[in-house]
This record gives sequence, C-alpha cells and structure tokens, in this order.
Amino acid sequence: MAARQEEVRIRRVVACFAPGSVARPEAVARLAQELDAELLGLFIEDVELLRFASLPFAREVGLASATLRAMDVAGLERQMRAQARLLEDALAAILNPAATDWSFRVERSTPASAVEAVLAEGHAPALLIPPGGNIRAERRLVKRPELTLAAVKEWLAAGKPVVILPE
Amino acid sequence: MNSPLPASALRRRCDPQRLGFATTAALQGLERAPGQARAESSLAFGIGMRREGYHLFAMGPEGYGRHSLVRARLEEEARRREAPADWCYVFNFDAPHRPRALKLPAGRANAFRDAMARLVEELAAAIAAAFETDEYRNRHREIETELAERQERALNDLGARARGDGIALVRTPSGFGFGPFSKAGDGVMEPEEFGKLEAAAQQRFEKRIGELQKELGDLLHQMPKWRREALDRMRGLDRDVTRAAVNSLIDELKATYAALPHVQEYLERVKADTLANAAVFRQAKDGEAPTLFGIPLPRPEGSEGPFRRYAVNVLIEHSGASGAPVVTEDHPSHAALIGRIEHVAQMGALVTDFTLIRAGALHRANGGYLVLDALKVLTQPYAWEALKRALRARAIDVRTLGQELGILSTVSLEPEPIPLDVKLVLVGERHLYYLLHAWDPEFAELFKVAVDFEEDMPRGDDDDARFARLIAGCVAREKLRPLDAAAAARVIEHQARDAGDAHKLSVRMQGLVDLLREADYWTGVAGRETVGVEDVRKAIDAQVARADRLRERLKETIVRGTLLIDTAGSRVAQVNALAVLQLGDFAFGSPHRITSRVRLGSAGVVDIERESELGGPIHSKGVLILSGYLAGRYMPTKPLSLSASLVFEQSYGGVEGDSASSAELYALLSALAGAPLKQSLAVTGSVNQHGDVQAIGSVNEKIEGFFDLCRARGLTGEQGVLIPQANVMHLMLREDVVQAVEEGRFAVYAVRSVDEGVELLTGVPAEEIHARVEARLAEFAAKARAFAAGGERPWQPGKKK
Repeated sequence: MAARQEEVRIRRVVACFAPGSVARPEAVARLAQELDAELLGLFIEDVELLRFASLPFAREVGLASATLRAMDVAGLERQMRAQARLLEDALAAILNPAATDWSFRVERSTPASAVEAVLAEGHAPALLIPPGGNIRAERRLVKRPELTLAAVKEWLAAGKPVVILPE
Repeated sequence: MNSPLPASALRRRCDPQRLGFATTAALQGLERAPGQARAESSLAFGIGMRREGYHLFAMGPEGYGRHSLVRARLEEEARRREAPADWCYVFNFDAPHRPRALKLPAGRANAFRDAMARLVEELAAAIAAAFETDEYRNRHREIETELAERQERALNDLGARARGDGIALVRTPSGFGFGPFSKAGDGVMEPEEFGKLEAAAQQRFEKRIGELQKELGDLLHQMPKWRREALDRMRGLDRDVTRAAVNSLIDELKATYAALPHVQEYLERVKADTLANAAVFRQAKDGEAPTLFGIPLPRPEGSEGPFRRYAVNVLIEHSGASGAPVVTEDHPSHAALIGRIEHVAQMGALVTDFTLIRAGALHRANGGYLVLDALKVLTQPYAWEALKRALRARAIDVRTLGQELGILSTVSLEPEPIPLDVKLVLVGERHLYYLLHAWDPEFAELFKVAVDFEEDMPRGDDDDARFARLIAGCVAREKLRPLDAAAAARVIEHQARDAGDAHKLSVRMQGLVDLLREADYWTGVAGRETVGVEDVRKAIDAQVARADRLRERLKETIVRGTLLIDTAGSRVAQVNALAVLQLGDFAFGSPHRITSRVRLGSAGVVDIERESELGGPIHSKGVLILSGYLAGRYMPTKPLSLSASLVFEQSYGGVEGDSASSAELYALLSALAGAPLKQSLAVTGSVNQHGDVQAIGSVNEKIEGFFDLCRARGLTGEQGVLIPQANVMHLMLREDVVQAVEEGRFAVYAVRSVDEGVELLTGVPAEEIHARVEARLAEFAAKARAFAAGGERPWQPGKKK
C-alpha cells in the first residue's frame, strides 16, 4: 500500500471543514504545497445543525465553559460565516504567496452530500481530508466507482484521509 | 667682629676619589634607598600581623619610593603564601535576584565553568534524545489516547443514553446540544414535526433534554480534571525520562567535585531545576526566542538563552598563580573597588543577571594584598565608605551606587557577599593620615599600622659611597649610561642640597631618577658613553632654567630699580632681609627691604604687615618678640615709651614666618641708635627675647638669592649674608657662590646673637649701639614723664586729664 501511495500523484486536496470540528487550515495548506496539488477548502454548513438550532428549545452546552446557552438559526449562521471567513483567510495567508492553486467553497448541505458532490466533479487522484481528520493518518485508497453517499458517510465518520483514484 | 665663613664650610663636597670606583657600572646597585629602617620595620609588622584592623598606611611625601618599597615587600611576602581560592557567581534557583557565590580551589574556576557549559550541551543532547525514543513516544501517545478515549467514551455513553430516549447528541460550533430524532430516524426533528407532536410528548422531550444537558454540563466539568490528570502523568513521564538522562551526567560532574560540598549542593540544585524544566532542553538552541507581547526579544550578546541560568560567571580565578595576589588599583572608584553589576539593553530597557557581575580590586586582591593611593580613594565618590564597609564586614558586597544611595527602586541583583581576607595598604601624604586620624573614628580601628617614610638619610663618612650604590641601582633599573665618579659625587652633593642639609642626603627617589635620566640625555646629546660631571651640572642647570622665569623677572625689577633694594652704602633703619618663594617644586630666595620708624609713644612695636592683614601669625609673633627684647634689654624697670613701626617695603602679598625677625630688630636698633646699616649685607634668622639668633629654613636659597642680585650689579667684595650659626650645618651652596667666597668677592657670616649681627651691619661695637639705644629710650621715657607731669599725655597732645 505504501508503495502504491508513493506512485499516486495527487491532483487535488479536498479539505473539509465543519462547524464544531477541529480545523487545521495551516496544516492542510502545507500538505497541498508538499503534494504540489490544487487545494479546495470546503466549508460545510451542516443542515442538520441548522435544523437543530431552529427548534424552539435548542440549547448548547459550551465545551470549554460547560454553561448552557440558547441557540438560534441567525446566531448559528453568523458563527458559521465567521468561521468560514477565518478559514479562508488562513489558507490565503499561506497559499497566495506560494502561488498554489486553491479555492474555497461554502456548501449548505449534509456533510456527506456536500463531499460526494465535490468528489464527483473529478480531478482524481484526489485526497479527501474529513472535517477534524488527522491529515497524517494512514490514507485509504478507493477507486472512483466506489464513490457513493453511504461510502462517503463512512469515510467522514472514520475521520481518516481517503485517496480517490481514477477508474 | 665675626669673620666670614671659609669656603669649605659653605658646601660639603663629596670626594670622587673616596668613592672608590671608576664608573657606577662597577658597583652592585642598591634597589631602594637606605635609611628607611623605621618604615621597613613597620611594614614587616603590618604585613605579618594577620589580625583584624591591622591595615597599613604608608605615609610620606610623593616621590620617596613609598609605592616601590611597599610593593616589593608585599611581593616578597606574597610569594611565600598560597594562591587564594577562585570565586564564581552562579544562578540562585531559590531567589534569582540573589546570585550565589561559589568558592573553588585556586585555578579550578575556569575548568568548572567549562564543565558546566559542556554539561548543558550534553544535557540538551541527552534529553532531546530521550524524548525521541519509541518508549517515550508510545507512553506519551498512550496517555493522550487514554484521555481522548475517556472523553469520547463519556460523550458516547451520554449520546447512547440520549439515543435510547429518541434524542440526538449534536455537535455545535462551540459545544454540544440535544435535539429529538425525527420519526424517520435520519436526523434531528424538523421544528414543524416537533410542533405537530402532542403537548405531553413535547414536554417529555424537553424535560429529558434538560436532564441530558445537565448531565452533559457535569461531564464537561469533569473533563479539565481529566486533562490535568493526564498532564500530571505526562509531566511525570517527562521527569522520569529526563532523570534517566540527567542523573548520570550530573552525578559524573559531582564526582569530580566530591571534595567541595558547596559545588555538590549547587549541582544538586541544577539537577532538580533540569528535571523541572526539561522542556527547555527539548527546544533547540535556535528555537523560539522569548517574546514580549508577541515581539521576539533580542538575546544579550553571547547569551545561550534559556541555558544562561546554568552558566558560571568566573569572577576571579588564579590559574597559573604561584602566590597571593598583590593588586594596585590606580583608579579606585566605587565600582573599581567593590565590583559592579553591568546591564545590557533589551527593548529599550536595561536588564541584568548574575553573569553580568564584574569583579573589583577587592575581589582580585582577596587572599592577598591591595595597594591604594589614599588621596585617590578619598576623592572618588563613595569609594572610601565602600572600602571601610568591606573591611569592617570582612565581605565584599557588590552593590551599584544606585542601590547604595537608594535612588534606584528598580529590580536589581543582590549578589551573595564574598568573604574578604585582604591586607590593605594605603599610600598617602602625612597630612592625610593625621586628618583621617582626627576626623574619621573608624580610621584608627582599621589602619593600626603607620608606615612612616623618612625624607632623608644621614650623611656619615661612608654614606656617600652607599648612596653611590643607590645611584648605580637606579642607573641599572632605568637602563642609563653609567656615571663616572665625579658625576656620581656631583649627584650626591645635589641630593644633600635637596635635603637642605650638608649632613643629610635626600631619598626623594623621583628627583634622583629624574636627574639621572636628564644627565643621561645630555650625555647622549654630547655623544659620550659615560655620564660626566658636566652632564650632571648641565642637567641641574637646565632644570633650574626651565623653572626660574619668575626669579629672573624679580631680579630684573630689582636691578632696574623698580623694587628698591640697595646692595651698597649705608642707611639708618633700613636692612635687607631675605625671603623664599616656593613655586611648584622650585624655591628661590629674594631680598626684601625692611624699614623702621621710631618715636615717643606707648604703642610699642607696631607690625604694619599685621595691621594691614598681610602678615601671618608666625611673623606677628616674631615682631612681638622684639618688644620683649627691647623691654627686657633696655628698660627692665621703666615703662617703654616707644612707638615703633616695622614694614616689609614694596611687599604686596602676604608675609609669613619669623626668619626676618632678626633683620627687623637690626632695623629697629639702627633707628633708635641712629646707626646706619650696611646695605651690602643681607640678613636672615629669627631672634628670641634674649637676642639669640635662631635657625631658619631654606638658608641656601636665601643666600643665593642675595648673591644673584649682587652679582648682577657686580660683586664688590663687601657684599654678604648674615645667617644664624645654627644654619651652618645646612649649607650646601651653589658652586658659583662658593667660588665667589673663595675669591673674596662675597661673604657668609654666621652669627649667634644680635650683638654679633649688629656689629657686622653697623661696624660699631655692640656695646656702643646698646648704649645709644638705651639713651634714646631713656630720653623717650623722660619726655613721657615730663609730659605726664604737665598733665598731658605726650602721644595725645591737647588732651588733658
């Protein structure tokens, strides 16, 4: 597998970010530079989270403060926009001077659907970094025909990088 | 009547033949001037006496070899003693602002410093390597994973319990929330779906979600504690790993210094600090620089950054030293004596640490001897106080002046004081010793040994030859050309003149060395290999010529008649007295005219100099003595009805001393007796109430001063000087004066009494002069009585009782 990985030249890195997941924009930017690949930063505004926020009794228990706070959709959207902007700025700070091709996209969807749609655009071999995933973890190699919604859900849940190879 | 002194009495010659050598090259030179037995003995006692307070004060005038003798004796003693301990300052791990002083055996401080530097390098490598091992990584990862799993498990358990109640655990941007699952079970329920639920179901969800939120809150409260526990375990792991790397290295160094408990203790502290700060060693040297508000701080030059605390500041070390130190500090400022704490600029602020403590002269001399110039110490601000404090406390406490004066309140260092064991020798003038003794109560406690240097040595029969050896020593030391016997004899005579005594030799080494150097110069100019008498003579003449501008100007004003001094003829109540002017290190004599006026009255002898506040107290005393002489000699049973005045004519500066009192008496007697005084003679000498003429100072300069004026006007053979008999032994006159006396063109008379002097000056027997004076005074007294009988005070005409 290791030998196989070395042979594959990644064309595109798809780095997924989601509200609530640990984001390491600098790390993925450097990875894209190392691989000499195009980077797509994909920020997913999770519709399920928005749905939760729209519930009348939606409350959030802060991770750091352990205090209970009320949630609403408008507030959540503001937080997500701010988080997306910070991520985009962090990527720009590293990649613009390096002249690496990169783009940043915000999708409102379920994480699996958003990722599936992006991967379906092609650009294989592509490297998928799930939200909060460890970029240095062992990569799973899959072929493009294996790209299904269920498979993507599984990859995202595993939190490990996946290389999508052409057919 | 007195005869003039023979020429042989005017200058005690040194016979070159009796010196017994051709040139000084044949002599075994003396290192130092003889005749300092008292000083040598005091010095030996002071150096040998190791008790508290027995510091030395070497006193005497400048240029008499005090420094060289003190230094030589100290070096002799120092060679017999062992080199003292080395001292270092190291970081104090308990109180960083109070650096610790470490004592090491002589010559081992540098090795210890280097060993510590190597230790830090080795520790950095060993610790970094220990943290790179698989064992460390695995154990570290294990702790991390355990924490993550513990947190995840707790959340998963909570999520599972929630799911059992149809509730989803949702990850939000900043935490977690709970929402009811949709009926389809594929996510959180839509608000519309929730709205369609029965009220009871809604309430049940809301109640259960509230409970779950509380549970989640409790769980999240636990998490920091779990993290702390994990961190503690990681620290423990770090300590274990570091200890394994550190122990062997530091224990090895401790074994090297097994005999030094203080070093052992310090190394133990280093070990403990290393274990507590292992992270510092895991960063490479060129790792992240320290920052202030995110701005990197520049590191001081030579700094090793975080490892600086393990550096060793070698304050003083004695590697290669074979004895105790003998230190002379030429600039004994406060900092130069007790050391200083330097600062470096960082971001516009001045910062310091223990590596910037610098040694002072007391540190360098510790365990040995320190020589200081007393005047320099006293004139340096706060140096004297700091020095006494160190001697009293027997410890060197390095403090900046700012700390000492309390004018700086910023955080600075308070280094641990270093025990002081030093023998201090202050070298200074006598008056400083006596002033300090009188005004500084601590001085007597600290400087119990006075080393009093003689200014001259006796000139017995063999002393000229001994002094020639001293000349030979100076010539050898200064690498000068040798002197032939005649030149050496001339130098010896010059030293006698310098002492102002035919039977003494000045041991003013600076003057002697200067003369020898300058004679050597003129020998070189003449292209000779041996210094001859002409070269010495030329050197002396050139020294005088360089300094005598004012003397020549003064002589010129007399010769041209601006200052009135007669050197021929006779005049009543007018006499030539002799004064000496000291300008720098050049003294010369010059005649002054003294006149007197007498009349009936009761004022006695009035000193015009005193009345005009130009006369000093000793001069006034001399004049008052004259009244005593007159009353006792001429009117022992009658009131003295005399008003007489005395004045130094054309004197516009102060007059001090009593050497002109005999001249003043001659002028007074001349005025009373109506006997003219020879103006070809000049007079010096003080007088007592019995009419005895007493010794004065600078007799040679005074005679030469009058001789020079007479020669300028032309020597007649009538001219001469009256000196006290007691000063004959001091005569070391210039060769030209002696020659003129030999040729009968000038004369020096030695007198014992006023009677002898007045006969020489008037050519009239003393008894006759006294008779005339007595008659005149009796006449005044009779007139006074007559006036008094008429009810009138003669000196206040018109006033009646």
